[in-house]
Amino acid sequence: MGFDFTGKSVLVTGAARGLGLAVARAFHDAGARVAINDRSAERVTVAIATLGGGSRLVAAPADLADAAGCERAVRQATDAFDRLDVLVNNAAVNIEKPIEATDDAQWDLHLAIVLKAPFFCARAALPALRRSRGCIVNVASELGLHAIPNNVAYVSAKHGVLAMTRAMAIELAPTGVRVNAICPGTMDTELMKECAADSGDPAAYYRAFNAYHPVGRIAAPEEIAAFLLCLASPAASFLTGAAIPVDGGSTAGRTMPA
Amino acid sequence: MSPRSDFVGKRVLVTGSTRGIGSATADRLLERGASVMLHGRRQKDVDGAVAARAATHGNRVTGRAADLADRAQCRRLADAAGALDVLVNCAAIYEERDIAASDEDFWDIAIGTNVTAPWLLAHALLPGLRARRGVIVNVGSDAAYLGYANSSVYCASKGAIVGLTRALAVELGPEVRALCVCPGPAMTDMMGATPAERAASGAVWSKWTMLGRAAEPAEIAAAIAFAASPDASFATGSVIAIDGGAGTGRRL
Repeated sequence: MGFDFTGKSVLVTGAARGLGLAVARAFHDAGARVAINDRSAERVTVAIATLGGGSRLVAAPADLADAAGCERAVRQATDAFDRLDVLVNNAAVNIEKPIEATDDAQWDLHLAIVLKAPFFCARAALPALRRSRGCIVNVASELGLHAIPNNVAYVSAKHGVLAMTRAMAIELAPTGVRVNAICPGTMDTELMKECAADSGDPAAYYRAFNAYHPVGRIAAPEEIAAFLLCLASPAASFLTGAAIPVDGGSTAGRTMPA
Repeated sequence: MSPRSDFVGKRVLVTGSTRGIGSATADRLLERGASVMLHGRRQKDVDGAVAARAATHGNRVTGRAADLADRAQCRRLADAAGALDVLVNCAAIYEERDIAASDEDFWDIAIGTNVTAPWLLAHALLPGLRARRGVIVNVGSDAAYLGYANSSVYCASKGAIVGLTRALAVELGPEVRALCVCPGPAMTDMMGATPAERAASGAVWSKWTMLGRAAEPAEIAAAIAFAASPDASFATGSVIAIDGGAGTGRRL
């Protein structure tokens, strides 16, 4: 997209696949050094190979379910690069369950990975981000802006991410560290393909999600990644505390009920 | 529930109150002791609405016809209303038209009625509202925050009345409160001219809300009355969604 991140260092959480991998690739293609985080060290190795390897890619495997894991992910990036310019909080879990079928462990897991991890990653990255006057991009969701049924833990946590984005943006504004969130709609990722397969009727599953978006289709992860790079670039130098839908119109309104 | 009397001695104008949400709002405020000026576009509708309430509410109910798309008529309505405690801007035009079919006259009439008239009335009635530490309640719509296909002018007007409300709240506090109640689909004449048409479109719109139905006008009127009442004395600038959850999310 023409953004130049040469000399910049980026940590992307949950970067072994899906949107995270697309974001890592986009930053890498734009010249950045990129630390690849995933829970699985093996998946990180595969992702780095997929991206072509080389000195601008570093492995930062860690389970972000607790603060120590978040600190480990950040430390691997800052140790390798000696600086950090962009933190992309992308890692997430999403298990669709009705309220009564959502057990304590699933609730805790959503809050831990979706809401707590971005906080602890940000806290750990902050000394380096202050020095670089860098930025944080939180990958929220259109479900941070409104709700769907049977996804209460995820919707709750993503709404929390937007509140946290605003709170951090206000607190860090005087330091020059910007904090923003993007709110993607449904993307055609591995996770989407798995969910479609699990549904028993993949074609119908895709049709429903395509129709849900006023533009009539779901997003390619690369479309979201391209927008995310813009938020992290100097083009967005006056943007902080924002929650920007990139959702094919799904939160803008609706066509009339048929 | 025994009738409350928290509007005794209060002077109220409810625009668009010969039918629908405005009519239900007028009834609720009359029950609670207010003196209410009814308003409609056609004199015979106003006369009928006043006559229907005269036996119960006597001289506490009056009426005045005005076409709110006409600024001079707006000002005359304000003059007739005099010093108010509560102004409810309820009158609105809704007509489904796609952008290509929406000409400038359509825009001017809808924006004139839905936005300019509330602003003009607030402006003209301000001295009385300030003196009486009054309240302005604007009726918005879930169209203020949900785009409706084929209703761009209506959506623009309802977004604007939210902005108007917030600006009034900031500018007129502490003397005057301003709030906006945003209804979802309600079973009014906007749903159709005949009971059969209303039932048909009510069934369609029931899918719009999370409660599986459109609102009864009284359910919206209750929120408007709350916003206007001393119960809401610390609320100003509030945008209150009474939309059956329509703005909260979607079902796949």
